[in-house]
Amino acid sequence: MNKTNIGRSMVSLTIYVGLLFLADTFLRGFYLQLVMLFGINSIIALGVNVTNGYTNIFSLGFGGVMLTAAYTSSILTLPIWYKEAALHLPSWLAHIQWPFLPSLLVAAMVAVMASVVLVLPAFRLKGHYFILTSIGVNIVIANLAENMRSFTQGAQGLRNIPAFTNTWWVYGILLLTVIFVWRLIRSKFGRALITISKDQGLAAVMGINVVRYKIYSFIIGSFIVGIGGVLWVHLIVSINPQVFNLLFVFEIIAMLAIGGIGTISGAILGAGIVTFFTELALPIQEGFSLFSLQVPPLFGLVNLLMAIILIVIMIYRPDGIMRGKEISYEYISNLVRHFPKLTKK
Amino acid sequence: MYIYVIQQLINALAYGSVLGLLAVGYTMIYGILGLINFAHGEIFMVGAFACYLLVSALHLPFMIGAVGSVFASILVGLLLYKLVYQPCIKRKAPVLAVFIASFGASLGIKYLFMMIFGDQRRAFPIPESLTGVYEIGQITVNMRDFFMLIATIIIMIGLTYLIKYTRIGVAMRAVSYNMKIAEVMGVDSAKIVVAAFIIGSALAGVSAVQYGLNFSILYPNMGFTPGLEGFIGAVLGGIGNVPGAMIGGFIIGIGEILFVALLPPSFSAVRPMFVWGLLFLILFIKPTGLFRPNIKYEGIWGE
Repeated sequence: MNKTNIGRSMVSLTIYVGLLFLADTFLRGFYLQLVMLFGINSIIALGVNVTNGYTNIFSLGFGGVMLTAAYTSSILTLPIWYKEAALHLPSWLAHIQWPFLPSLLVAAMVAVMASVVLVLPAFRLKGHYFILTSIGVNIVIANLAENMRSFTQGAQGLRNIPAFTNTWWVYGILLLTVIFVWRLIRSKFGRALITISKDQGLAAVMGINVVRYKIYSFIIGSFIVGIGGVLWVHLIVSINPQVFNLLFVFEIIAMLAIGGIGTISGAILGAGIVTFFTELALPIQEGFSLFSLQVPPLFGLVNLLMAIILIVIMIYRPDGIMRGKEISYEYISNLVRHFPKLTKK
Repeated sequence: MYIYVIQQLINALAYGSVLGLLAVGYTMIYGILGLINFAHGEIFMVGAFACYLLVSALHLPFMIGAVGSVFASILVGLLLYKLVYQPCIKRKAPVLAVFIASFGASLGIKYLFMMIFGDQRRAFPIPESLTGVYEIGQITVNMRDFFMLIATIIIMIGLTYLIKYTRIGVAMRAVSYNMKIAEVMGVDSAKIVVAAFIIGSALAGVSAVQYGLNFSILYPNMGFTPGLEGFIGAVLGGIGNVPGAMIGGFIIGIGEILFVALLPPSFSAVRPMFVWGLLFLILFIKPTGLFRPNIKYEGIWGE
């Protein structure tokens, strides 16, 4: 790392922390929650990107993985009086209430274990067979959560989950994730993953153990996604088995597809677009009056628009907005330098 | 005891035929284009809504409703092809992009209907003439189940005849085997793709009427579970294999109803787990499904 690089990193880090400080100081309620949700969705999109983007294993099972992590963390951190009143836990679980960090790590580990147990057999399958089984993982885990009443209270869900998530946790973890994924992809390991995504046969010939690397990639992806699920549940402070259903999975896939699958900037950009669009457009579909013209509530309008945008992007720009590039200092300076040319054309 | 089992088996055949028809729709489009039409469950849902609107709102006879359901399904299937799949194929989008687009289309149609009709459950109109029962010894057969099964069998025989002996069927098999060679031989592949969409969607429409008659309920999210289970049926039967899909759909439908009927009531809550467990088990033993699949990993626009 040379001097300019260190300088640039310091400047960007200062800007990052400064912006967070501003957000934390001046934003309240809904808007602060929106900013945190953006961070969490970015983390989840980055985790999904490791498996679905870089390694090209198209799995839709991350909803189930997140559900596992979220339930584990909520059971570990729920207040003891609530556990006694609502749940029938084994005594070693009923009398503990962990702080955030250990619970976060344990929950992410449990998510990794669950995903490996469920998805490992599916690696024998290819193409659409794999996609189908990964959808099945979601549905099976949600169904399990509905039926393990003594742990999860069934479809009713859990409440009174402590609100640990704040801006610093979310954006600290986001920063770590970005650095981790960035370093990962530029390592020998990451290059092996990208080789697998391009051509599995070629990768095997070059001496890469394809199945092992796929499993490693899955473990890393599930860990990040699990952390995202835990942050989500401690932000929303309630959970039921349907929170990470296929609609949620669709939103995350939409983030990756819109931003550009297989890039860090694409994942974060897509997360931003989808999160702010869906959350800020929600009031529109609840109906309002404009110049004494009553607009009726149109539930589902936001999701419909999202679907149309996604289809249009898939038709005209299947690589997403970023087209496999990353936003870096050079990218921006190039853009600025070539801007007059672009507008002239 | 065995009379109860036979009775439940007969009841289960109705749901089996719903899923069998859906599975054939998935498998036909996959066989020709090499893509999973994830919005197939929504084509099914639109069919049910068309029948409901024609019969309950416009008070037309039920037969017109049923035919309308088939035509509405065909319309939606063709619109999907023209607006979503054809542009993707023309621009040589990667298979994954087309899958994501079909995922989007599925949710788009669902939320459009949720926006127009609301999320509540509605009663599907069942005509008076189909409410009777036949009694054979101690076994009772619902008249509507009987007619549904007859309809399914006729459709299946017709479809087999179409694929095996007619010109369009031969062309379909040729395109499904290798589109480029079929085109060299003078087959208009664009027409064959449209035909596959028409047949698949029409079967979804028939299936929607059957579902409505069987459960007498409809709502915008109704396509979700039968759609996925039809997809499971298609995969079980070896995707791209039409008779296999039919059998796969029947296995899932019958298995599901018998699972609920024959085990204690506390098991009925884990019904999804049973269906997916069956799929995992069969794929684990035989990763390509029960029968010989017609797999295309690339689709027509691939290398």
